[in-house]
Amino acid sequence: MMNAFSELSRRGFLGDILTGLSGVGLIDLLSQGAFGDEAKPAQQTPHFAPKAKRVLQVFCPGAASHMDLWDYKPSLEKMAGKPLPGEENFLSFQGKNGNLMPSPWAFAPAGECGKPITTMLPHMAQHADDIAFIHSMHSKTNTHGPGCVFMNTGHSTEGFPSAGAWLSYALGSANDNLPTYVAIPDVRGEPPNGKANWSNGFLPARHQAIVMSDQLPIRNLARPDRIAEAEDAAARALVAKLNREFAEQYSAESELQARVAAYELAARMQLSAPEVSNLASETDATHQRYGTTDANPLKAAYARNCLLTRRLLERGVRYVNLYCSSRASGVDGLLNWDAHKTLKPDYERHCPIFDQPTAALLADLKQSGLLEDTLVLWTTEFGRMPTHQVGTTGRDHNPDGFTCWMMGAGVQGGVTYGATDEFGRRAEVNPTTVWDFYATVLHLLGFDHEKLTIYHNGLDRRLTDVHGHVIQDILT
Amino acid sequence: MKSRPLCFTTLAAIALSFSLLNAAEKKAPVDFEQEVAPLLSQRCVSCHSPNIKKGELSLAGPEDLLANGYVVPGDPAGSYLLEVVSPAGDDPAAMPKLGDALAEPEVALLRRWIEQGAVWPDGFVIREASKADRSWWSLQPLADIHPPEVAAAPAAWRQNPIDRFVWAKLSEANLKPNSPADRRTLIRRATFDLTGLPPTAEEIDTFVASDSPDAYPQLIDRLLASPRYGERWGRHWLDVIRFGESRGFERNQIITNLWPFRDYVIRSINEDKPFDQFIREHLAGDVIAPNTPQVEVGSAFLVAGPYDDVGNQDPAQAAQIRANTIDEIIRASSEAFLGLTIGCARCHDHKFDVISQRDYYAMYATFAGVKHGERAVATSEQRQERDRQLGDLKKQQAELTRQRDDVKKLAIARGESQKEHYAQLWSRPAISRQSTEEKFAPVLAKMIRLEVEGQERDPNSKSGYGIDEFEIWTTGENSQNIALSSAGSTAVGSSRSAGDFDGAYSAALTIDGKFGARWLASGPQLTITLAEPQTVDRILFSSDRPDAAPSHGVANFVSEYRILVSVDGENWTEVANSYNRQPVNDAHRRKRLLAAELTDEDRARSQELETELAAVNKAINQVPALPVWWVGNRSAAPGPFHLFIGGSPQRPADEVTAGSLSGLADSAPKYELPQDAAESERRLQLANWIVDPQNPLPQRVLANRIWQHHFGTGIVNTPNDFGYMGGRPSHPELLEWLAAELVKNDWRLKPLHRQIMLSQTYQQSSEHRTAASQVDGDARLLWRFSPRRLSAEEVRDVILQIAGKLNLEMGGPGFRLYQYLQDNVATYVPLDEHDASTYRRAVYHHNARAARIDLMTEFDSPDCAFSAPRRDETTTPLQALTMLNHDFTLDMAQFLAERLQTEAGDDPQQQVHRAYELCYGRSPTEAETKACISLAGEHGLPALCRVLLNTSELIYLH
Repeated sequence: MMNAFSELSRRGFLGDILTGLSGVGLIDLLSQGAFGDEAKPAQQTPHFAPKAKRVLQVFCPGAASHMDLWDYKPSLEKMAGKPLPGEENFLSFQGKNGNLMPSPWAFAPAGECGKPITTMLPHMAQHADDIAFIHSMHSKTNTHGPGCVFMNTGHSTEGFPSAGAWLSYALGSANDNLPTYVAIPDVRGEPPNGKANWSNGFLPARHQAIVMSDQLPIRNLARPDRIAEAEDAAARALVAKLNREFAEQYSAESELQARVAAYELAARMQLSAPEVSNLASETDATHQRYGTTDANPLKAAYARNCLLTRRLLERGVRYVNLYCSSRASGVDGLLNWDAHKTLKPDYERHCPIFDQPTAALLADLKQSGLLEDTLVLWTTEFGRMPTHQVGTTGRDHNPDGFTCWMMGAGVQGGVTYGATDEFGRRAEVNPTTVWDFYATVLHLLGFDHEKLTIYHNGLDRRLTDVHGHVIQDILT
Repeated sequence: MKSRPLCFTTLAAIALSFSLLNAAEKKAPVDFEQEVAPLLSQRCVSCHSPNIKKGELSLAGPEDLLANGYVVPGDPAGSYLLEVVSPAGDDPAAMPKLGDALAEPEVALLRRWIEQGAVWPDGFVIREASKADRSWWSLQPLADIHPPEVAAAPAAWRQNPIDRFVWAKLSEANLKPNSPADRRTLIRRATFDLTGLPPTAEEIDTFVASDSPDAYPQLIDRLLASPRYGERWGRHWLDVIRFGESRGFERNQIITNLWPFRDYVIRSINEDKPFDQFIREHLAGDVIAPNTPQVEVGSAFLVAGPYDDVGNQDPAQAAQIRANTIDEIIRASSEAFLGLTIGCARCHDHKFDVISQRDYYAMYATFAGVKHGERAVATSEQRQERDRQLGDLKKQQAELTRQRDDVKKLAIARGESQKEHYAQLWSRPAISRQSTEEKFAPVLAKMIRLEVEGQERDPNSKSGYGIDEFEIWTTGENSQNIALSSAGSTAVGSSRSAGDFDGAYSAALTIDGKFGARWLASGPQLTITLAEPQTVDRILFSSDRPDAAPSHGVANFVSEYRILVSVDGENWTEVANSYNRQPVNDAHRRKRLLAAELTDEDRARSQELETELAAVNKAINQVPALPVWWVGNRSAAPGPFHLFIGGSPQRPADEVTAGSLSGLADSAPKYELPQDAAESERRLQLANWIVDPQNPLPQRVLANRIWQHHFGTGIVNTPNDFGYMGGRPSHPELLEWLAAELVKNDWRLKPLHRQIMLSQTYQQSSEHRTAASQVDGDARLLWRFSPRRLSAEEVRDVILQIAGKLNLEMGGPGFRLYQYLQDNVATYVPLDEHDASTYRRAVYHHNARAARIDLMTEFDSPDCAFSAPRRDETTTPLQALTMLNHDFTLDMAQFLAERLQTEAGDDPQQQVHRAYELCYGRSPTEAETKACISLAGEHGLPALCRVLLNTSELIYLH
C-alpha cells in the first residue's frame, strides 16, 4: 500500500515538477531554513549511536494518581483513616486534606517480575515485564497547565519547545511524506494549556507538532469541495511552474527553491495522510483488540487514536504525542484524571478507556519488532495525595512524588527505579526530575542533553534547562 | 573580586595551637588570593555560591567550610574538603560535579593551604566571575564617532554618513556594493518596509515615470506620514514587548480590553512620540500622568504578558507563582529596553554578563506592586461628568431599594412570628446534595420528570445546578433502579455546553450509574424515559453522592422541585415536591415566607416600587460608564525585599531595595532607593534611569532595532541581548553613530528612518554576486540588499489589498480568527470561514496566546509568550496547504477575480495584465500571459487568482 503511494508521488511530483532543481533533496531544502536565518543548522549530528529512532509519548493529563495505578502502597491500607504523619496541616492545591485513603482497587502482581499493578489495568499489566517504572518523579509545580507544559518542555512557563519539537530539530524527518512530529489530542479536547504542550517554542515553526487524530484531520489538508479535481491539478501545475521560474530567476536564493519543495511535500502529505488515517484497512481482529468498536464512545475514539499512532510510527513519524483525556473541566475528574472528589467512579471511567487500547498498541509495537528502536514514554504532570481531600473521596494534587515510565529501545523491562515514601507522598529514593527523564530520553536518541542547544534571548537553551542526569540504572 | 580592603587574619587563631602552625609553615607559603581563590572561583563557586548553595554549602566565604568540618585549619586529614576532591580507590572524586576532577597539583595546593592554617583574608568574598565585566562594549558610554572619510568611494556613497560607514567596512573586505535597485523594486521595497502593504499600480507608475531627484525622498516622506506606518512599526514593537490578549497558562482567559494599549502603540509611533517618553510611559505612565488615559495606558505594558491566575491554596506554590509573574515583567522590561537578559540573574549572578543577583532583586523590588487586571481609566473631567450626570440617581436607587425591602421585611417578620406554624408546614428534612429521596404511592410511569423551581445559590434561578445521578426505583420486594441507561432509559435536559466536547455535561450523566460526573443544567427540566412503563414508588437524586460532609467546590444543587410522572408524555401527575421540606437555606426560607405572607396591598406597593426602581436603574445605565481597561492595578508592596537563594521565595537572604544596575555604574548615573520608597517612585526612578541620556544601552538597542527592521538583520543580530552571549556588532561605529543620531533627533524614529532609507546602502539592488557571497555569505557587510519573505501580517494584508477587500478602519476591539470557548479553561478553535468582519489589517487581530491561527501561525507570527525581537522566516508544507485550501484564499481568489472583471473587462489579456500589476507591480511576459489565459479559460478566473495568491513572487521582496 505504502509503496504504491510512494511510487506514485515520486513519479508524479519529483519527476515532473521538480525538474530544474538539480538533485536537491526536499527535506534538505526545507530544513535549511529560509534566508539562512537560523542560529544553527536544523539537523544536529547525534553525539553517539542512538538506541531509539522514534518516540511514542502517551500522556494522561489531569495528574494520574501514582498510588492508584502503578505505585502500590500497602501502608495506605494499614493506616487507612489515620492522619498522614507529619503533614496533618499541609495545604495542597485545593486546600485542606483529610486522612490517608487506600486505593479503592486491589493490586495484583504482574508478569514474571511480579510488579504489583492495579487490577483496574489488566491489559497494561501484561506489559509489566517490558516497563521500567520511575516511581520517584517530582515536579516543581502543582498546577495542571504549568505541570503539563513542564512535563513536555522542561519549563513550567509556556513558550518553550516541546520534546517532540526538540527531536524534530535534532533529527529532522524520517519520512518525506508525513510530518516529523504529531500530536494527537483526545476526543474530549486539548490537554491543560492546550497547544503550548506541542509548541515549537522559539524553534522555527516547522518543528511544531502537526495536530491530527482520528476525529480531527490535519487542517487544510483536503482539497476544498468547491475546487474540482481537474481544476486543482491544473492550478497546482501552474503554481509549480510560476514558482519554479521565479526560483530559477533568483537561483541563488535557496528559500525560493524550498518553497517549490514545500508545495511538493504538501502534495505528498495530501496523499500519505489519508492513507495513514485509513483505519478501515485494518482487520476486524485488530479493531477488536484495540477496542475501536467499544460501546463506550470515548474508549472507541481513543482506541482509534492508538491505532492511528501505530500506523504513524510504522511510517516513520519520529515523535507521537498521544493524549488520553483532556483539560480541566467544569466538573473535576470528568474530562481527565483529576480526581478531586470521587476517585473511584472517576477512575472507573478513565482506566477502561486507557487500558485495552494502549496495551494493544504496545503489543503491536512489540510483535512487529518496532519496539526495538521505539522508545515509549508514559507521562502525567504530577501525582496525587495519599490522603483524601477534606469532605470528599478524591485526592488533591501532589507534585512531590509521582510515577512515569519508559519502555522499549534501550530500556530495561520489568524494573523499578526510585521510590516514594511508604505512603506515596514524596519521592524519597533517587528523586528524579523531568530534566533527568528527558536527559535519559535524549541519551537513548543519541544526544547529550547538555549539547543539544539553541540560542534564545541570552542563553543557549536546552530541553533540560540547566539540569538533568541520565538515569543509567534503567538502561540496557 | 574583593569586596573590602584586605585585613589578614588567620582562621587558625580560632581553632588551632601554634605548634601545628609551625609545622605547616615549613612548606612554601600559599598565596590565598593568587592561588586558592581563583581555583575555588573557577571550580566550586558556580554551585556553591551564597545564592545557590548546593548541599547548603557556600564557598564564597570561609564560614560554611569551617562550620561543617570541610576545612579544619592545620589538619588536612580531618578536612572533609580534601576527601571529596580526591579519588577514593577506583571511584572518581565526588567533586566537582561538573567538569574534570581537580588535578593532583590543585589538590596538593588545597592541602598545603589547610596545613598552613587555611588563611582566608578577612572579608574576602569569592564570586564566580562572569565572562564579561564592566568593560563590555555595550556598557560603555556612547563614543563620539565621525563617519570615516572614504575618498575612494563614488560620490553617491560619500554623502550619507551611513554609506561612509558601510563603504569603509566593505573596503576592508575588498567588497563593493551593488548598483541601485530599479525604481519599481525600490518603491515596492520602501512601501512594504514602512507600511506593510504594497504600492498601488498607480503609485508605481507615477514613481517609475518621474525622473525628479526629489521623487524618492518625497516617497519616503509620504510613507512616513501614512497612518499605515504606525500599524507596521507598531507591530514590530508589539512583538518586542510580548503583547498578547489572553492571560496565558492553564486558564488562558481572553482579555477583551487590552486593545487600547495596542492603539496607543500605533498612535504613538504615528505621532513619532519621542521614544524616551514612550519608554517612560510603559514603565510608569500612571505615575507620570494620572487621570490621563492616553498616557496611563502605556503602563499596560507591564501587564501585557502571560501570568498564572489559577488559585493555589499551597502557600509555597502561590509565592512561587507570584515570583514568576514578577520575573516575567523583569525579563520583558530588561530585554525590551536594555537589551540585557537580567532574568538570567534570578537564581545566581549572571554567568556571562556583569549582572548580579542583587541587581535582579532590585528590579524585583521595583515591580513588586504590579498586579495584572483591569480598572477604570478616565480623565478627571470624565469622572466629574459622570458624577454630574448621575446626580442623585444613586441616592434615589438606594431609597427605593430600601422602601421595597421594607415591605418584604415586614412580611417576613410576620412570618417569623409564626415559627411553629411554618415548622409544622415544613417538617420534612431539607433537600440534601448527598441524597434526596422521595417516596410516593406506587404509580405506573413511562416518564419521570424533575421540574426545578429554584436552585441553591439563587432561589429565583431554575438552571445552573448539577445532578450526578437520578435514580428511579420500582415498587415491590426486588426493587430496582430502572433509570439507568444500561437498562434502556434515556435522559433529556438542556445542559451547559463545552464547545470542544459535545456532551461533556449532558443529562445522560444522571443515569450512567457513576457518581463522578454531573449533569450541569441550563434549564429547569430533567425528563427520564424508561425502556417500558413500570410501577415505581421512589426516586433518589444527588449532586455529590459520597457519604461525606459538604466541602468547598461542591456543585450548586437543586433547592425547590416537583416530581411528575406520565405514561404518555402528555398527561403529567405530580407525585412529590419539596414544598413541605425545610428550606435549604435562609434565602429560600425568606422566599417561601414572602410567598405566604405578602398581602395584596403589599404586592401592589412592591410592584409600584419595582417600577420606579426600574426607571431609576435605566437612567443610571444610560449614563456612560467609565472605560475599563487592562492596565493593571498597583499594591503598595512596601517590602522589605530580599534576594531569593536559588530563586526560591522560601529561601530569602539579604535585603535589597530598588536601584540601578551595578554593571552600568561606570557609564550611567546610579540610584538606590530607601526601603520605604513608594511603589510609584520605584517604577518612575527606573524609567528615568533607563532613558537617562548617559545610559548608553537603550539608545544602542533601539537604533539597532530600527536598523534590523530595515535590513532584516541588526548590526547586532541578537536584538534583545547586547551581552556576552549576544552577537558582536558588524558595524560598531555605525551603531554608535545611529544611537547618537537618535538622541540628537530627540528620540524620534522618523528622522532615522529617513536617514537610513535615503542611503545608497538601502537603495542598492538585491542582486546576488557569487564572488561577494563567498566572502560574506549572508551579506552582513551589506554588499547587497537582502531579500526577505513577507511577515505573516503582510501576507494576509497584501492578499486582502489586492482582492480589494482590505478594510482600513483603525483601532478598537480586535477581530478574531478563532472561536473562543470557555469551560473552566479557554480553548481557541481556528475558524474555517473568515467573514467580512475579519478583513482588517492583521495588526488588529485579537492576538490570544496559544491560539493557533491558520496562515498567521504558519507564517511565523509568534505566540508572544516571550519577547519576539525578530521573526523566523520558515518555509513549510503547512503554509502551502493553508494557502491552497483555506477558505480565506478561496474567498479572496473569488474577490480578486471579480475585481479583475470590473477593472479590466472581459478581455483575458487585460485581466491577466491587471492581475500582474496588482500582485507583483509589473506586467506579465508573453509566456506568462499565455499560461494564465489558458488556465483561466479552462477553469475560470478564480482558479487563476488562486494560483497567483500562491506564488512566491507575491510574498518575496527584493
